Amino acid sequence: MGGSALTEAPPGGARSPSGDLGRLAFGFLAVSALSGLALVPFFSPAHALESLERLHDGMPWGFFLRALHAYSSFGLLVTTVAHLVQVLARRTERQLSAGAWWRSVLLFPLTFLALLSGFVLRGDAAAAEALPVWSRIAETVPFLGPELQRLLLGVIPGDVGAISLHHAGTFTFLLWLITAEHGRRLVPDARSLVLAGLVSAALAGAVPLTLGPPPGASPSGAAQILLGPWYLLGLQGALVDLPVPSAWLAPLLLVLLLGFVRGADGRARRLLLVLAGAWVAAWVGFTARILLLAR
Amino acid sequence: MFRAPALIAALFAALLGFLVASGRESERARGTGRGPDRAGARTERCVSCHVKPEEDPGGSHSRAALGCASCHLGNPLAFGKERAHGGLEREPGALSTAAMTCGREGCHPREAARVASSLMTRASGIVSVDRFAFGEIPSPDSNETVADALAAARPTPAGLHLRKLCAGCHLGARRANRDDAIHGNGSGCAACHVARLTKVDPSRAHPPIDAHVPNDRCFGCHSRSGRISLTYEGLAEVEPHQIGGGSRPCAAVKLADGRPACRVAPDVHQTAGMSCIDCHLHTELMGDGMARTHEEEQVEVTCEACHGPVRVGGEVPWSDVKDAISLEIRERENRREDFLRKGKREGSAPDAPTRLGSRGTPILNLLRNSSSSSSSSSSSFVWTLIRKLDGVVLPVKQTPRDANHARKGHERLSCSSCHTAWAPRCDTCHTTFDAARTQWDFAAGKPTAGAWMERSEGFSWGPPLLGVRSDGRIVPAAPGMILDIDATAVDGGKTSRRLLAPMEPHATGKKARTCESCHRAPAAPDFEVGTRTGFRGLNAAEKRRVAAARLEPR
Repeated sequence: MGGSALTEAPPGGARSPSGDLGRLAFGFLAVSALSGLALVPFFSPAHALESLERLHDGMPWGFFLRALHAYSSFGLLVTTVAHLVQVLARRTERQLSAGAWWRSVLLFPLTFLALLSGFVLRGDAAAAEALPVWSRIAETVPFLGPELQRLLLGVIPGDVGAISLHHAGTFTFLLWLITAEHGRRLVPDARSLVLAGLVSAALAGAVPLTLGPPPGASPSGAAQILLGPWYLLGLQGALVDLPVPSAWLAPLLLVLLLGFVRGADGRARRLLLVLAGAWVAAWVGFTARILLLAR
Repeated sequence: MFRAPALIAALFAALLGFLVASGRESERARGTGRGPDRAGARTERCVSCHVKPEEDPGGSHSRAALGCASCHLGNPLAFGKERAHGGLEREPGALSTAAMTCGREGCHPREAARVASSLMTRASGIVSVDRFAFGEIPSPDSNETVADALAAARPTPAGLHLRKLCAGCHLGARRANRDDAIHGNGSGCAACHVARLTKVDPSRAHPPIDAHVPNDRCFGCHSRSGRISLTYEGLAEVEPHQIGGGSRPCAAVKLADGRPACRVAPDVHQTAGMSCIDCHLHTELMGDGMARTHEEEQVEVTCEACHGPVRVGGEVPWSDVKDAISLEIRERENRREDFLRKGKREGSAPDAPTRLGSRGTPILNLLRNSSSSSSSSSSSFVWTLIRKLDGVVLPVKQTPRDANHARKGHERLSCSSCHTAWAPRCDTCHTTFDAARTQWDFAAGKPTAGAWMERSEGFSWGPPLLGVRSDGRIVPAAPGMILDIDATAVDGGKTSRRLLAPMEPHATGKKARTCESCHRAPAAPDFEVGTRTGFRGLNAAEKRRVAAARLEPR
C-alpha cells in the first residue's frame, strides 16, 4: 500500500475495478466503527441489557445512535456480498494477488462474527439464547475447540466482556486492516463515507430497531423458537437437523470455494461457482425453514 | 453511485429519517418515568412510574425492597411502558409462573415446590371420587390430578362434569377461571397470601401480602362441596325456596356469591376467634412434598393433638422435633420476638415440650403455659394456644379423664363423632347433563356447549351420620353423593349412587351430642359404599350392638 494510494480518492465509476460497491462497503465500515465508538461509553458488558435499555430509551437520541450503528453494519454486510457478486460476475478477482484474495475472502466470516458478536451484546432473551449456541459451535472445532471457545467467549459463562472486546477491537481492527489492504487505502473516501452515513441515518430514523424481552421473564412463554439475527437464520435453520460442527464446516466450505475461484479457470471455476451458488441456495432454504418453524 | 443526484437523494432520505426520529424522540421523552429507578439495590425502573403510595404492598414485600418485577415480571430495565409491561404477570403467585415469581431462587422456591404437590393444587380426591361416582374407576383412589383431568383431549362424562362444575376450585386455577365463592385477588400462592380487595378499601390498588391468612381466603373454595367453611362460621346453605317456607326456623343470610344460608351454631373454635391457620399445620396447607389423594391423608392435626390425650410420641421436647421447617420458623419467631413471645411459654429451651400432628409436625402456636406448669397444680389449662392473627392467648382445655370419655364400647369413636353439633346434608341431589345449554368450561376458560345441571329438593342439616374408617375408627360421615346422574346426553348412562363420605364438619360443640342422638336415632339408611377405600357405614353387627344399647323413649 503506497502512501499516495492510501490518501487519494480512487478513480470512480467505470474505472473502478469492480464498481462502487466495495467503496461503499468501506464507507459503511467507517460509519459502523465511528458510531460504535460513540456507543462505547454507554455500554457495560456487565449490564448489557440494562445499559442498552438506558441508551435506547433513557437517553436523548440514543435509539438513533444505536440504529445508526446497526444499519451501517448491515450495510457493510450487504454491500460486501454485493461487491463479491460484482467481482465474480466481472471476473476481476485476479486484480488482487492470491494472498490478498484469500484474505479478502476472510472478510465474510469476519463480518459475520462482528455482527454476531454485536447481536450477543444486546443481552436480551434472544442474545442470551444465542450465546450458548455459539459456545457449543466453537467447542466442536477439533483440537482448538475449547481454546477457541475461551478466546472468543471468555471464561465465565454468560459474561460478554470478552465478546465486547472482540466486537469493538479484534474484529473491527481486522476488518479495517483487510479492507484497507483490499482497497489500497487506509480510510474510505469522503463521498462513500457521506453516502453510507446518509443511508444509515435514513434507515435509522425511518425503521426503528427494538430490543427483545429480558432473558427468562415471559410468563406467557416465549415463542417456541427464538429467532436469531436475520443474517444467521440460515445457520439456525441448518442446525435444526444438521450436526453442530456443520455450523463451522459450512462457512469453511464457502470460504474454500470462494478462495479457490481465483486460481481456477473454465469448468473448474464454473463448478466452484455452482457449488457456491448451491451453498447460498441452501442458506436461503434453511432461512425459510426456520421462519416457517417459528410461526 | 457517488454522483451528486445520488448524494442529494440520500440527503433527503436522511432528513426524512431525522424527521421521523424526532417524533420518536419526543414520544420517548414523554413516556419515561420521573421517579426513582432503584429498589432493593437493583435497577427497577417500574418504580419510576408506579410512585403512588397505594401501589405499594408494604411489609416484607414492599416496593422499596422488591420493586415490582420480582413478582410481576415484565422488564424492570425498560424505560417505556410498552417494553416494561412485556411479559407482565398480572397474577403473581399463579402456579404456572410461580417458579419465576414467588418461587424464584432467593425467595420461596421450597414453598412453591411444596404447593405444587399439595392437595389443594392437585385436587386428586375430587377427581377420583367424581370418577368413582360416575362409575368410571373401580375405587376412589386415583392419583389423577385436576390438571390431568382438564388436559384430557376427549373427556369422559366425569371428566366433563369436572370441567364444568368442580375444576374451578384448585390453586392452579387463574382468577378469571375460578369458581370460588369470594373471588380472591390472585391464584396459586396469592390465593391465600394476598388480601382480598374489598369495597371497604377501593383505593388500595395493591393489597398487602402476608403469611397471616384470615378465614375469608379459605372460604372461597372451602365453602363449597363439603362446605366446612360455612359450617365453621355457623352457616347452613339452603335452597332459595327453603328460606321462609321451610319447616324449621331459619335466620337467613345471603352469601357473597348469592347462595342463601341459615344461621346455625358456629364451631366452638370460631366462637373463640380462631382461624383456620390456628389449627391447620404448614404441612397440610402448603403440602409436604408428598402427593396425596384424599384430604384426610394430607391433614395431620387432630383434636387430641391439642386437647389430649395425646398419642404415644405426640408430645416431645423441641430437641426431638425433626421437622426442619418448623424449627426454622420457631428460630425466626424467637429472633423476631413475634407472636410466639406473647404466649407465656417456657422460653426457647430445647427441652420445652411441644405437641405434634400425626406425622410429627409440631403445632407451633400451641405452647405450654409456664405459670401453670410451674405450679404443677394440675390445672386443666396447662396448654395455651396463641391466635396467629392477633396474638391473643387462649387456654386449651384438656380432655378430662372422666366417665364420659372412658365409656365402655365407645373406644373407637373419634372426638368429632360426639362433639360435632351438626353437619350439612343434601340427600336429594340430582345431576343431569343438558346438551342444549352452555356452561363455563374450566378447561377452555370460557363457556362451551353443554351444561351439568344440579337440582335438589333442599339441603338439610343435623347431627352427622357415623361411619367406620378402614382402621376401624368411627368418624362423622355425610351422605356424600346420594345422587342420580343422568349422563345419557354425553354417552354416559344413568347412575344412582348412595355413597357415604367421611367428613370433619367443623361444627364442634362444647357439649357432646346426646346419647339419644345416636341410640334413639332412626335407623340410618344403607349406603352402597364409602367414597374412600375401606370406609363404610355401620355393619350388621355394629348396628345390632347400637340397637342393643337403644334407649327407651322418655
